Amino acid sequence: MKLAPYRKKSPWILHFNAGGCNGCDIEILACLGPKYDIERFGMINTGNPKQSDVLLITGPVTKRTRERLVEIYAQMPEPKVVISCGACACTGGVFRGMYNCEGGVDQFIPVDVYVCGCGTRPEQIIDGVVQALGILEKKTRAMEESVRLKKEALKEGEQINRRHVAGEIKPALT
Amino acid sequence: MGKQYEIPVGAQHISLLEPLHFRFTTENEKIVKTDANVFYVHRGIEQACCSKFKFRQVSFVVGRVCGLCSISHTTAYSQVAEKLLKIEIPRRAKYLRMLVIELDRIHSHLLCLSHVAENSGFEALFMKTMQYREFSMELLEAVCGNRIQYDFSIVGGVTRDLKPEVADMILKRLDHFMPQLEELIGIYKNNWTLSLKNKGVGRISKEDAMRLNVVGPFARAAGLAVDVRNETEDLLPWKEVGYEMITDTAGDVHARNMVRLREIEVSIRIIRNVIAGLPESDLVTETKAFPEGEATVRLEAPRGELFYYAKGNKTQVLERLKIKAPTFSNVAGMVHAFTNNEYASAPAIIASYDPCLSCTAR
Repeated sequence: MKLAPYRKKSPWILHFNAGGCNGCDIEILACLGPKYDIERFGMINTGNPKQSDVLLITGPVTKRTRERLVEIYAQMPEPKVVISCGACACTGGVFRGMYNCEGGVDQFIPVDVYVCGCGTRPEQIIDGVVQALGILEKKTRAMEESVRLKKEALKEGEQINRRHVAGEIKPALT
Repeated sequence: MGKQYEIPVGAQHISLLEPLHFRFTTENEKIVKTDANVFYVHRGIEQACCSKFKFRQVSFVVGRVCGLCSISHTTAYSQVAEKLLKIEIPRRAKYLRMLVIELDRIHSHLLCLSHVAENSGFEALFMKTMQYREFSMELLEAVCGNRIQYDFSIVGGVTRDLKPEVADMILKRLDHFMPQLEELIGIYKNNWTLSLKNKGVGRISKEDAMRLNVVGPFARAAGLAVDVRNETEDLLPWKEVGYEMITDTAGDVHARNMVRLREIEVSIRIIRNVIAGLPESDLVTETKAFPEGEATVRLEAPRGELFYYAKGNKTQVLERLKIKAPTFSNVAGMVHAFTNNEYASAPAIIASYDPCLSCTAR
């Protein structure tokens, strides 16, 4: 089944606060409200990492949330996109250098979109998520391409045999 | 005795805005014991305020303790620094601080109410409350220049003046909001579906509230008349602008909702009085002194009593800054009030406490 078109139409968002001040979090909540209503674009705020496509992180990473953040990221299935939301999630912001702060999400997991601002405006968050959807689509295509190439390689068995004869690859079973 | 199960909630959960961990021990779906772990977001702000930042910069840093009540933090710090500097701020600055604190209270209470509705499973009411809340964010943006993180109070006064057209806009929007508030009160008070999830749930008695040192709307819903606005007059003249104590007796989620809604009415009255009686004066008291000695300040944040202690030693950098946030006082009460409730009610009860963990952990 081709999942790519559906994934773009209805991305599921996982929100995680890695130790921020709540400011960006209430703006994310405002995005769910009727004025900005991101659900009309099919985006749903979900609580389950195993069903989400977009990880929205706010806050500088504190020493205690660090492991949870990496754990949640690891639980999300590929393809996935990470958005760091707010100045302190991007670089550490005003909390940079405080003794219990690591400062910046991108030290621990790869970040695709950086949304700036303290506090981030709902328009910026929506813009960031829409940009992330483009990246998600590209990642999905790349993944499907690699799967297709693998399948084709398996189908064209003779080609593999020819390369085998030429000594390029070793046989898996003797 | 039935078999007991342990159910963990958090650190990441759909019903929580922040990392917070509860471990419920349940027996036949009833919660018999709760453990709370609230210090996931400890950042070390107090230490940084005493080493990295100068005392005039600290008011911007402590605003980042909490995004919901940032004006309470900046104002409380500004007041404690003014006590150390031994200066009196202009009267207009006091009034403008009260204006922004009350606008902030409206938005914070409406956010909490919408969160309670969502966690009780009433999505439509969540949408309605969020829709009505948006006016307060727009007003805050018009007054302070930002939707959250206002940085409105500085040491010695406030950063911006209230323009006459913005004052007109506030009054007009409040007139527009009054019927909407009536509607919300009607729904939260009388809706039968919501009452099943809210009435008699998460109850705390007056004696327990007193014993466990509960503050804010959580305590006032249980019948304890504790409000810093009622007790202090020296820093901000609350009584002058029509402050009134709101209490309830039931102590359950429904009572907390009603206390919050009626406090919004009081806040609207205060805002109207502030705009009507706004005195003419400067905005900032300039001084070149350095902080010296010790001082404490109490201020009523949307969640309860906020306490600041500061110690200066005649240099640019403070020697000690201590922040005690309202949720920190409430943790013991929060854990107690879960007992003997259904596990399914737990998200609504958590939301009704209005916990602010970035305040608690600093």
